[in-house]
Amino acid sequence: MKQKVDSLLTLPAVIIVAVVTQILFLATIFLSFVKWIVIRPDLGKSFAGIKNYVWIFTAPETYRIIGNTISITALSLILCLILGFCFSLLLNRRFPLRKLCNICILIPFFMMDAVIGIIWKTLLLHPSFGIAGYISQMSNSVPIDFFGQHAFISIIIMIVWQWTPFFVLIILAGLQGIDHEIVESAMIDGAGSIRILFQIKIPALRYHIQVVTMLGLIFILKVFGLIYVTTRGGPGFATTNLPYQVFKISNYKWDIGQAASYATIMVAMTLIIIMFMFNFIQKQIKRLEI
Amino acid sequence: MIRITNKKVGNSMITFLTYILCLVWVFPVYYMVITSFKVEESVIPPSLVIHEFTLNNYAIIFDKSIFSHITNSVLITVISVLLCLAIGLPAAYRIVFGKMKNPANLYFWFISTQLLPPCAVLVPAFLIMRWMNLLDTRTGLILLYVGIHTPLIIWMVTSFFKDIPIEILEAADIDGCSKWNAFFKIIFPLSKMGIISSALLTFVFIWNEFFFAVNLTAIKANTLPVYMASFMTQEGLFWAKLSAISTVTILIPVVFGIISQKALVEGLTMGAVKG
Repeated sequence: MKQKVDSLLTLPAVIIVAVVTQILFLATIFLSFVKWIVIRPDLGKSFAGIKNYVWIFTAPETYRIIGNTISITALSLILCLILGFCFSLLLNRRFPLRKLCNICILIPFFMMDAVIGIIWKTLLLHPSFGIAGYISQMSNSVPIDFFGQHAFISIIIMIVWQWTPFFVLIILAGLQGIDHEIVESAMIDGAGSIRILFQIKIPALRYHIQVVTMLGLIFILKVFGLIYVTTRGGPGFATTNLPYQVFKISNYKWDIGQAASYATIMVAMTLIIIMFMFNFIQKQIKRLEI
Repeated sequence: MIRITNKKVGNSMITFLTYILCLVWVFPVYYMVITSFKVEESVIPPSLVIHEFTLNNYAIIFDKSIFSHITNSVLITVISVLLCLAIGLPAAYRIVFGKMKNPANLYFWFISTQLLPPCAVLVPAFLIMRWMNLLDTRTGLILLYVGIHTPLIIWMVTSFFKDIPIEILEAADIDGCSKWNAFFKIIFPLSKMGIISSALLTFVFIWNEFFFAVNLTAIKANTLPVYMASFMTQEGLFWAKLSAISTVTILIPVVFGIISQKALVEGLTMGAVKG
């Protein structure tokens, strides 16, 4: 009886989470084998086997899109990590207005994608009316077409601006957890600050760097809003990643089967990364002892 | 002596550099906020100060259709967060204090659902909602959000519950305190700040959610992010008004986010780090 009451506590959570995440995803896998175009009811619904996947893997843009997904994530992650580390080191000192500086760095993380996209695209990087355009006019150079010619870089700039704060949050917390005495005694022993950084601080932050990289990876893989608001995946396929492609196929082609196939590929890619993550989590279980 | 002064100069140089970098980082936000107080005609050419202060932009955006979007956002977010708490807190309670054989498995199952990209469930979610007439309704979005963000609550709150010494609960149990009372009289007061911070963070995530909102709503249940995205194409170059709306929409999540940043660190690093 007691056991029953106990399991009632987790039951609602398990049910709704399982339905929304797992069952719907199983449905996605099923739909990826179906041919069904919503706006063409005359074609009907039929079983398509692996035709959707064959179509996807013979379409040349698919490789571009997968490549984009990986390169956007990898580049942003590396930049976020470097910048996050630098900011954390700078903020982990005693100086006036430290709290305020901290808040300045954090703000972008809590802003919505739509707003970030809008202010970067219009106010800052617009080639004729933005700050960037103004600067190039002043210096008599040709204005840079950020969201056209350099769309890929612009997307990365925005992602890095939005996500570096998250890296700062976690790395800074780690730095603050390092015992002062260890650092001080190393200094007394004559270790320079660069040696202290590489031999004491970075090893002590191993756990934080792992956590923040994994979480950052998972969040940045699914970037969608910034692309939707600024480049719409363009020009061409230059900034289309897998989530955006799923959106495009389901909203413009209304092809349920193809959209589901792209979504399944996206999850497969994420899963490979999760495998790496899983090993890491396993190690933490022993440490945690819930 | 010279070394010490050298060090002092070096230190203030680094502090100065920190200030510059922080100003650069926050500049887009600053520029957006000041633009929202400018007269539309003076937005271009860009200037870093306000020449002619006006609140007119705010007055204009507030008597337009923005209210229905604010209502949608507030209702959807608040109801979703409350439901997440109602479902997530008991689950976290059982994971930490219940007599489960292997609570870690359930805990990591919840966390693992967070790895699923939203686009992985979009197509069936769309079909089911179309079939149940839930497309473009608040109920539809709320159901999805609860399913997706409950694990976040469990993930974070679990690490705050673990800080509560189990001896207190055992003592309460011996004194004949019921589970229900133990939760409201002991656990909740002790982890109040953690729970509130987790709720605020969930609020921020749902408030900013874009993917499902843009795919599954059209006119009636549009939240603020969707409205913002369409505003850019509809209103053309009214950048002062654009900035005013942007400022309004980020105000709440930024304040909530800053309040709850410590909980974010502690919760997401599984309690290994005190933020």
